[in-house]
Amino acid sequence: MSRWRALFHKKSIDREVDEEMRLHIEMEADDLRRSRGLSPEAARREALVAFGGVERYKEAHRDARGVRWLEETLQDARYALRALIKSPAFTLSSILVLALGIGASTTVFGAINAVLLTRLPYPHDDQLVEIAMQSGSGEKWHLSAVDYRAVESSQRSFSAVGVEVPNEAAVRIGTADAVRQSMAQVTSGVFRALGVAVAKGRAIEPSDESPGAPPVAVVSARLAARVGLGQTITLDGVPHTIVGVLPPGVRTLGRFSGDIWPVLQLRSPTRRGPFLFIGIARLADDVTIDAATRDLAGISERMFPLWASSFQDRTARIVPLPLRERVLGDASRTLGVFAGAVALVLLVAVANVASLALVRATNRERELSVRAMLGGTRGRLVRLLVTESLLLAIAGATAGVVVATLGLRVLVAIGPHVPRLADAKPDATMLGFAVAVAMLVGLVVGATPVWLLSRSHAAGSRVIGAARGTQATRAGFVVAQFALTLPLLAGAGLLLNSLLRLVRVQPGFDASALVMVHVSLPAARYGNDTTIAAYWARALPLVRDVAGVVDAGLTEFVPPREDDINLNNFALMDRPAPADGAQPVAPWITATAEYFRTLRVPLLDGRLFTPADSASAPSVVVVSRAWANRYFPDGRAVGQKLESGGCTTCPPSIIIGVVGDIKVQGLAEPADAMYVPPPQGWPQQMNVIARTSGPPSEAVRRIVVALHGIDAGVPLDQAMPLDDRLYDSVMQPRHWTILLSGFAAAALVLAAVGVFGLLSYSVSTRQREIGVRMALGARASAVTGMFVWRGMGHALVGTALGLALAFCSTRVLANSLFGISTTDPLTLATVTLVLLAVALTASWLPARRAAAVEPVTALRLD
Amino acid sequence: MDLLQGTLDLLVLKTLVLGPLHGWGISKRLRELSDEALAVGQGSLYPALYRLEDKGWITAEWRHSPEGRKAKFYSLTPAGRKQFTAERTQWRLFAAAVEQVLGAT
Repeated sequence: MSRWRALFHKKSIDREVDEEMRLHIEMEADDLRRSRGLSPEAARREALVAFGGVERYKEAHRDARGVRWLEETLQDARYALRALIKSPAFTLSSILVLALGIGASTTVFGAINAVLLTRLPYPHDDQLVEIAMQSGSGEKWHLSAVDYRAVESSQRSFSAVGVEVPNEAAVRIGTADAVRQSMAQVTSGVFRALGVAVAKGRAIEPSDESPGAPPVAVVSARLAARVGLGQTITLDGVPHTIVGVLPPGVRTLGRFSGDIWPVLQLRSPTRRGPFLFIGIARLADDVTIDAATRDLAGISERMFPLWASSFQDRTARIVPLPLRERVLGDASRTLGVFAGAVALVLLVAVANVASLALVRATNRERELSVRAMLGGTRGRLVRLLVTESLLLAIAGATAGVVVATLGLRVLVAIGPHVPRLADAKPDATMLGFAVAVAMLVGLVVGATPVWLLSRSHAAGSRVIGAARGTQATRAGFVVAQFALTLPLLAGAGLLLNSLLRLVRVQPGFDASALVMVHVSLPAARYGNDTTIAAYWARALPLVRDVAGVVDAGLTEFVPPREDDINLNNFALMDRPAPADGAQPVAPWITATAEYFRTLRVPLLDGRLFTPADSASAPSVVVVSRAWANRYFPDGRAVGQKLESGGCTTCPPSIIIGVVGDIKVQGLAEPADAMYVPPPQGWPQQMNVIARTSGPPSEAVRRIVVALHGIDAGVPLDQAMPLDDRLYDSVMQPRHWTILLSGFAAAALVLAAVGVFGLLSYSVSTRQREIGVRMALGARASAVTGMFVWRGMGHALVGTALGLALAFCSTRVLANSLFGISTTDPLTLATVTLVLLAVALTASWLPARRAAAVEPVTALRLD
Repeated sequence: MDLLQGTLDLLVLKTLVLGPLHGWGISKRLRELSDEALAVGQGSLYPALYRLEDKGWITAEWRHSPEGRKAKFYSLTPAGRKQFTAERTQWRLFAAAVEQVLGAT
């Protein structure tokens, strides 16, 4: 306390000391006058002499208070600030480089902090599990209605069990146009298991779940601003009453984030699949996850044989999986890649600034020597340099925090698809991280010259400075920058290469003149095949008559569709799956014959659907070429029979035709597909696909008008050219490529600046030597070559190290690459050449200046 | 006669055992108690006073002296009193040991 007082109230304390001193001298003078009869002036003079130096005394007093250290630090800071302001080029470039490095790493830390380090926002989140299916070989998928029912009725491990089913629906609020939106249907158990309380109204309750109960929904506080408690929201034409509002900021329940949580009303299942249900449960107190695993395994063994007709994989089990791990999923790997890339950029930045600081320290050798001679202790000089680099780092961190705040927004907007990333906001933890990084960087940058200074001191060569040592260290920094840059370049190159391959993939159709409109028929008015068929019987001819439309067809799923395409299991009659194996699965799509005609997908074998393939006719299937090649490589697919959904009691389906491949599951996926005709099972939602002859966007508008003419109450959305959809489908890889390329470019520029700076400095300090060489007859090209080779020598060593590093590290990209290996020789060779070309340019520029040195310079320089 | 290194603190504490004093009073009393043999330079006295205050062995307070001047009076804290006793014991042991060595024949 008194130390703080001493520091901050230095003036008042000095006044107090002055006063005490004055008194002492007065008393001494009085005493002298009394005891020795001196005159007041003589007594005062004597007293002053006896007291000694006043200022020295004050200094000693402060020392005694332990204030000196802090005061000197402030003095150092003031001095460092002046020194930094005096060399604005060094200061600005260092701050800029550090701002980028610290900013980038803080951004990624912010994302990691929000996604990985924060607990799930539920009480006792360690008790929460997802219930899923897991095969003997470790593959995981969701539950079916049957599984959920069985778990719910006979489990003894959980205090609450619920399910959520993510889906999409056309959402209409009031009289506004319907907007297609993702949401998840939930049961009351989800709210109980997670322990999430609604802020207003009530949660979904068990009574809401019985089929026929009035449909209700809970919404997020964000949506509640538009549609309040008690009002209705129309989902795919079905009005839902809003009974509850989640607390502000809560948009995630379990595995899914959204604004609308309609109730899930389960009908009694007739077969085992489909597997769409995400089980969410809370372990009862004192029940371990192992006990729950055994409980669920018991349920699996009792229940699976009962449904063997529609699914057979005896190795599969229902399992509890910690919710935390499931929510984070691949996020840790994805963010890990980012953290790695960013750490490399930060290291390159630090190496860069450290080598800049080293030049500066070398240039100030004389100044520092003078200071040392004038009695500055070595500790004091060291502190001066560290203070300077800390000031730089703090300025860099301040700018870095600004960069990070913006960067986090960019990352949230275009970054990898990672759960909870949207919640990432700059906070105190992130700020703390930036400060910690800044301190570390400041010490490293400041310590390097210090280390060299003290080493040279120990060697006794000179008081301060060691040009040779610092040059070697700077060369080391340059090598390091190249070594760190190469893996970044390699990663960016691989992603770019993979993206180019991806966009070159033929989707299987020419999207340029195609448009789509998604139509969701409300189950309330179009509840059966007859009413749906009647709607389309009117709608399709109307669409075909729209001006600019050449042809039109219907499909349940529009390619490329990565996420929720319907995968169905099936059994080939001539080769049933082995008893202990799983049945094959493939995308199962309802589409009309005109769909293939519109997309100009060729019929390769057999026939397409005809009106004769009605509901009462035998079930028929058209397969894609990839499917046919996989299961009947001998080309005899047509005429084969199969059991759809593994249903042994249903009449088998016959394969009637083989069509060309369409990338239904996304460009990077195989093109397997099985198509069935609408009359043999109309989906509630279909997509109109039309080929247009004029501008696609106008045709889309006219199609929407025509469909509204039939029934304005049918929600329409995703009315757009198919080209846009293809573009969207490669959005994720594109963003990855952009981000990593940005990191790589930053590192490349820094590395180039590094080698450029090293050689420029070397040229400027070796002018005399160059002059002598020139005077002795060295050709300009030889001098240039000498410096170029030095620069390239560093670059080559760095690149070689970097290649080794790249071989070890690009493996983390394996899951993000398409059609290219993580050590693709062509890509690695290309990025190596790019890096060396940049190094050559950065070396040649200063080297050229060396050749321009006049021999006479050797004489002029002192 | 110059003070032996490290004895100033002990002597200052001793002068204050008898009661609060201001800085000049301390130096005066030291001179008197030692029959003018020990003179403390003010350059060392005040830093010692601040050091002792910083360690919590003495406290300072501005009040009026008997002569009517406002002066800074130093007094011993309980911790200071304990410290004095400890240092005195140590000093006596030290002095006796030194004496014994010097007196050996």
